[in-house]
Amino acid sequence: MLSIKSLEKSFGKKILNGIQLDIKKGEILGFVGANGAGKTTTLNIITSILESDTGTVEINGLTKEDGLDYKKQFFFIPDTLDVFKNITGYDWILFLMKLYDREDIERLKEYINQFSMEEVISKPMGTYSFGMMHKVALIAAFTINPPIIIMDEPINGLDPNAVVIFKKSLKKYVAEGGTIFFSTHLLDVVEKICTTVAILKEGKIILHDEIKNVIGEYTLESIFMEKHI
Amino acid sequence: MRSFIVLMNKEFIQMVRDFKIVWLPLVFILLGITQPVMTYYLPTILEALGSGQGITIDPSMTAQQGGEILAGTLGAQFDQLGIMIIAISLMGIIQTDKANGMLAFILTRPVAVRSYVGGKIASNYFFTGFSIAIGYFASYLYVNFLFSNVPVPDMLTALLFYLVWVLFIVSFTTMISTLINSPGLIALISIAFLIGCRVIVGLSSMIDIVNPASMSKHAMEVLITGSVNPNAIGNLAVTFLCVALAIFVTNYWISNKKFSNE
Repeated sequence: MLSIKSLEKSFGKKILNGIQLDIKKGEILGFVGANGAGKTTTLNIITSILESDTGTVEINGLTKEDGLDYKKQFFFIPDTLDVFKNITGYDWILFLMKLYDREDIERLKEYINQFSMEEVISKPMGTYSFGMMHKVALIAAFTINPPIIIMDEPINGLDPNAVVIFKKSLKKYVAEGGTIFFSTHLLDVVEKICTTVAILKEGKIILHDEIKNVIGEYTLESIFMEKHI
Repeated sequence: MRSFIVLMNKEFIQMVRDFKIVWLPLVFILLGITQPVMTYYLPTILEALGSGQGITIDPSMTAQQGGEILAGTLGAQFDQLGIMIIAISLMGIIQTDKANGMLAFILTRPVAVRSYVGGKIASNYFFTGFSIAIGYFASYLYVNFLFSNVPVPDMLTALLFYLVWVLFIVSFTTMISTLINSPGLIALISIAFLIGCRVIVGLSSMIDIVNPASMSKHAMEVLITGSVNPNAIGNLAVTFLCVALAIFVTNYWISNKKFSNE
């Protein structure tokens, strides 16, 4: 599904130092690391915002050289969504659906209902809170239903109710054949919803395994702290 | 092609939500009617203000023709205040997207850079051109009412020539908005360069051929003389080349510069 090989990136100092990661179809992978560990840089390279110094990224056998076909393989939700202030949430999702050539209005309505956004979806996004912006982005992602959804800190700003819906929607999406790759600081979320975890430290993956193999008598937090310090 | 149309539609939706669809045509209508109204009523206004002392209006002076007044709308109103308004309204065309992360967001979608740039330029050009055309038609109506009739073919030919100059204004401002991050500086550079281009028209026939602002002069000549300057075709080709160059630079810059905060 998603294969990262020998990824390196420097901004004066080395941020990524030979990242290797394979994500299989149907996995929910939590990408964990301290601030500055290189999580966002990794996501930015996968999503073509940044170029790596060395290494390759493949999604379903396609690389960045495949252009738009590569970009159709994923839907990326960045950590900040401070854009499109004058466009309604509904128009914004329709706009994205058209770009991905996936115009399933029934599916869209289903997710709008699930995230309880019926009343605000027709209002300009400038009136939305940070959490609402993220909900709209999640509705767009689940409606478009790409092979993989990549998210940078997706739970930031979501209210507890939305977090529950988020978890349910992730599981539904994965059951339909999707794959999830997201970065987070919230280790309990990783424990509860991820099938796999990868811990990034100083630009290197120091742990990548299934959650069930990682946590037994320890919590992910204790493992993370031990690996991290 | 599809993403180009989708992006164009998104720009139009944004213009509607920003009320640009209301204020920009209104501004150009006001600019358009200013020239004929002011020219026609200036002697009355001066007299009413009582400040006509020392001013003699020669009664034997040739009455101004409609074409001359309409040419004045292009040369005096649209080429001065008009350029400033267009440059200010377009200064954030790419810069805002760079600053708020929209550009990075769009480029992670299945969208080619050329579709993004093309959608931006096409939608803003159509809309700016539409606003200018509305203002020009308003001016034409007042000119026909207050002065002499301007032949319709001359009026349309002049508008077409002028819209080629506007195409250059839009693509040049888009290019500057891509290269520079400060909105104020984008407006300043665009206004200074574009008005500079307009000011030097007529100084040298050699420069006129490679100056896109000469299209404005050709438009005015059609209105005043009723004939097309033979140099207009060459100038048209050069202006299209300049537009292509500005679009190429914009496209190249966005394709090769990654817009991330890291």
